[in-house]
Amino acid sequence: MTPHDYVRVGIVSSAQTLLKDAWDDLQHVDLISEAVSEALRGTGLGMSDVDFIINSGSDVLDGRSISNCGFLGAMGAHHKEESRVEEDGLWSLSYAHDKIASGSARVGVVIAYSKPSESSLTAYYSALVEPFYQRPVGLDHASAHGLQAAQYLAVHGVDEKELSVVAARAWERAAANSSVDTPQVPGLDEIATSPSVATPLRALHLSRPRDGAVAVVVASEQVARRSTSNPVWISGYGSSIDSQVLGEREPGSFPAAKAAAQRAYARAGVSDPRTFGIAEVSAGSAAAELMVVEALGLAEPGQGASAYDGAASTVLNPSGGALPADVVMATGLIRLHEAAGQLAGRLDRGAGSASSALVHGAGGLAHQNHCVFTLEV
Amino acid sequence: MTTGLNTPPGVSQKLAATIGLPYTLTTGKAVGSTITALASKRLTGSYCSDCQRTNVPAQDYCVGCGGEMSLIEAADTGTITAATTTPEHTLLLVQIDGASSPLLHRLVGPAEGAVPGVRVRAVWADETKALFLDLEGFEVADSEAAASSPVDTTVDDAMKEMPYRLDLDYQHSYGPYYGRLFDELAHHRRLVGSPCPQCHQVMVPPRERCDVCFARTTRLVEVQDTGTLQAFSIVHLEFVGQTRTPPYVYAEVVLDGSSTRLIHVLGGFEIEKARDLTIGMPVRAVWKDASQAQGTLADIEYFEPVV
Ligand SMILES: [Zn+2]
Ligand SMILES: [Zn+2]
Repeated sequence: MTPHDYVRVGIVSSAQTLLKDAWDDLQHVDLISEAVSEALRGTGLGMSDVDFIINSGSDVLDGRSISNCGFLGAMGAHHKEESRVEEDGLWSLSYAHDKIASGSARVGVVIAYSKPSESSLTAYYSALVEPFYQRPVGLDHASAHGLQAAQYLAVHGVDEKELSVVAARAWERAAANSSVDTPQVPGLDEIATSPSVATPLRALHLSRPRDGAVAVVVASEQVARRSTSNPVWISGYGSSIDSQVLGEREPGSFPAAKAAAQRAYARAGVSDPRTFGIAEVSAGSAAAELMVVEALGLAEPGQGASAYDGAASTVLNPSGGALPADVVMATGLIRLHEAAGQLAGRLDRGAGSASSALVHGAGGLAHQNHCVFTLEV
Repeated sequence: MTTGLNTPPGVSQKLAATIGLPYTLTTGKAVGSTITALASKRLTGSYCSDCQRTNVPAQDYCVGCGGEMSLIEAADTGTITAATTTPEHTLLLVQIDGASSPLLHRLVGPAEGAVPGVRVRAVWADETKALFLDLEGFEVADSEAAASSPVDTTVDDAMKEMPYRLDLDYQHSYGPYYGRLFDELAHHRRLVGSPCPQCHQVMVPPRERCDVCFARTTRLVEVQDTGTLQAFSIVHLEFVGQTRTPPYVYAEVVLDGSSTRLIHVLGGFEIEKARDLTIGMPVRAVWKDASQAQGTLADIEYFEPVV
């Protein structure tokens, strides 16, 4: 089979719940069924048209093993092909893409969700850490991001003020995004003086965990054209994983994110990533966001802050990105929902009209794993 | 009883739960040797002659080529390459003299001055616990960089296993459907389910979407506390998280007025009589005393055969 024989894969529709600090009055299944129902609405597609369901969630966060088994009804998976991916929803989408591109299925629903408010994120991240040498020392989410941020600032001679500027901009954008519940929007001063959690990082430099769910309906070109007048095409994707051991990773940059992006760009035939109209990227800290932006080629190494400039050709994180709302396991797929929604004209985040978008998601402790999608209309 | 879903939910909206996971971790040769040698104040690394690569602490396989590494004596001095200070401690990446990549550990002593480029030396714990923390951490101390030629080593009686335990705490939300079920149990000692408007099955516990046809349910109905035994198994095995002492009879019961199988236990008879149970026999709920009601399915002590 040559690439010429592959079926083109379109995003028909997508939907998310409101991203909230804590959805105290709803279960996972309630969030999931809301997102799935909303994603199917208006497409003319019913559950009987859906060939398969692929979903991303975490057994550790959910507090039950093989938790997808208990969520099948809400996902519409009865007697369907169903698979669980214990990674961000973008990885689920990559498998969904391949099933359709290869011709083995026509319509799929990709779901990602989490309710970090029900569990301890500290325990979740600690459970990701190697248990003999690293966990006993106390390496966790904040300290891993702190070490990474310290290396980034040192390698490139970047001032730590940049971190607060990046976070403040993210919050400002999120405040204008009706999908993110932002009762209080911290300003630059509040961010720069928030409590130190892992130097050089302060509390508001780290992403804020949020509860929520997202669902994306994908289909073959033929079905996509029939189901929506605004299909968004997946033009490429790639993923790449780095060493689990922090000390083995390159200081100051994300080579795995770069490798993932290069794979996606090669498939999409993109030579200059600054030609994308929109970029939606994920990050657990403000420093990590700068490193992602640089790895994707939207800025030179150490110059990530320049990508936020109003004059930059690519509008970066018009949704606010992951810092104000990190739905662990779903953050990357929410970025894709945001980007696809804007390309299709379903969502307006003030980025103007765009015909292509770049989407990034991450997984593992301090972004060990990266996945990149490219979209076009 | 037929009722809408808009009835205000009760007050009990969360279930506290803990999952305790006991493990016996297998260390393998490199980790076992490294941790065992810490008791005699020795730091162990590993060396790949093909890649000329040295890892400290020791790893079994080379990250460069995947080949097996040999164990070596490592220096206990090095240079800080990165540091982060949290409210609890300062974590360091330390380039041990002769190593190819930095080691992660704690700083012993004040954070001031512990910056990249500063020389450090190992601090050994007073009391050893067969953990990596038998190396307590590193303190700032001037020293010349040690020679880097690797010297092969072996560790006698290296540990092979490490006991470990992970405890995870949760606060699970009931949501409107389970919340209503539990409220009905607590206040009225009755069970409710949700009928599917499309395929007409009645689901217990109630839920927003039909499991089979994905139609949205719109109301709740009361179902009976009597039903039919659909499946059972006599459990003799003990396992983590068990709430009853074996032997007991696990059962799936289809309540009268419902279509789904409710998982519960059977009781009210000597365990030897379990062989007389038959699938399809009628059963009924035996409720706990009202004073013990907690608004959960455990308010039903067990189901007993109706004879
Ligand atoms: Zn090697
Ligand atoms: Zn139904």
